[in-house]
Amino acid sequence: MPELRKDPIVGRWVIISTERGKRPTSFKMTERPAVAGGFCPLCPGNEDKTPPEVYALRRDGSKHDTPGWTLRVVSNKFPALVIEGSLKKQGEGMYDKMNGIGAHEVIIETPHHGGSLSQLDLKAFEDVLWAYRERIVDLEKDERFRYVLIFKNHGVEAGASLAHSHSQLIALPIIPKSVMEEMEGSKNYYKYKDRCVFCDIVRQELDDKIRVVVENDDFLAITPYASRSPFEIWLLPKKHSSSFVNISPAEYISLASIFQDVLSRIEVALDDPPYNFTLHTSPFNELINDYYHWHFEIIPTLSKIAGFEIGSGFYINPTPPEEAATFLKEIK
Amino acid sequence: MKKILVADDEEGIRILYKEELEEEGYEVKAAANGKETLELLNTFLPDLVILDIKMPDINGLDILQRIRTMFRDLPVILSSAYPEYQQNLATWASDAYVVKSSNLANLKAAVKKNLGE
Repeated sequence: MPELRKDPIVGRWVIISTERGKRPTSFKMTERPAVAGGFCPLCPGNEDKTPPEVYALRRDGSKHDTPGWTLRVVSNKFPALVIEGSLKKQGEGMYDKMNGIGAHEVIIETPHHGGSLSQLDLKAFEDVLWAYRERIVDLEKDERFRYVLIFKNHGVEAGASLAHSHSQLIALPIIPKSVMEEMEGSKNYYKYKDRCVFCDIVRQELDDKIRVVVENDDFLAITPYASRSPFEIWLLPKKHSSSFVNISPAEYISLASIFQDVLSRIEVALDDPPYNFTLHTSPFNELINDYYHWHFEIIPTLSKIAGFEIGSGFYINPTPPEEAATFLKEIK
Repeated sequence: MKKILVADDEEGIRILYKEELEEEGYEVKAAANGKETLELLNTFLPDLVILDIKMPDINGLDILQRIRTMFRDLPVILSSAYPEYQQNLATWASDAYVVKSSNLANLKAAVKKNLGE
């Protein structure tokens, strides 16, 4: 019989198939659409096709907006939100609106076209995580912004439009609803139990072991109890930490190592599937707190969201997270 | 006289853009599909291309890739009725993205800017 499982943070229900779950081979696609090839505006030599860089790593002393970089962050050429202007919050009858202010940036993770995050050397992966931090710290100084969302789309089905490996950042003047729900859920849990819900998850998963994919001294990768999607993975710090920007340089190395390990396992198990990952961290107005725990959520694009999910807020997951963890754990 | 190639599968748009841009003093030729666009690129040798994204035979973003292979620095303005294409980073190979509108002020401003006028 299927199980209804409840996410302990936001209270979201998921239908988990407890019959023999869909195995990785069930999701392998024989034909996958390719992203645009040919001229790549993100490649070295084409810096004139992007907006000026707002952050870059250059170890050869090369000038900005020229080749020689190992990582580059630029504003989105055609951004969804614009950086200039004031918010101008106003009412329109019973409705609320404000100007579409925000920062929309693209993190070009490597100068090498066609490479993926899992193939970067460890230092380059660490540089990507450090770039996320540096951009958040910089944008936090802008009083108009309340949250920075970092995300990556890998593969066409996950929303990537170029093969050149990149992630994106959007600084927002509002806290996204999904983040608000996590913050509220975490606060409520803390109110009743006087403990961080994520710290409790870490403790229980380390005890149970059945949903642990991999761990190191500082971090833990699990397939969450109420996974929305097959092979969903959360990457969490073992020690309580409310904000991604507050971890130590040594922890960035440790995070890069386990993150790359997890992505490699997903790529091997599921034949380089499309996936999205997002960074979940505390909003600017409550960076240091006892109730929320930053983490990454990695979701392979293996199932489609349709009317049932949209109408109910429920998800149907055909692969129990315990089975997904077992498959991923066995990958060498 | 600067030369502009307009590539769009909608006849009404081709006529509108051609008339308006000719009034601005440009020499304009129009292509109704991808194949014609690629032919005119080599025979008309435009100074700027206004390129629709949704075309029946070859997608505008594919044409943009081919343009960049042949003419790396030829100014290309993408013109689409669909603002969501702006989130496709393949559009970055272009020089401007203008959402189609009956008011051509934005398009004309982008043309002047990209022709260095």
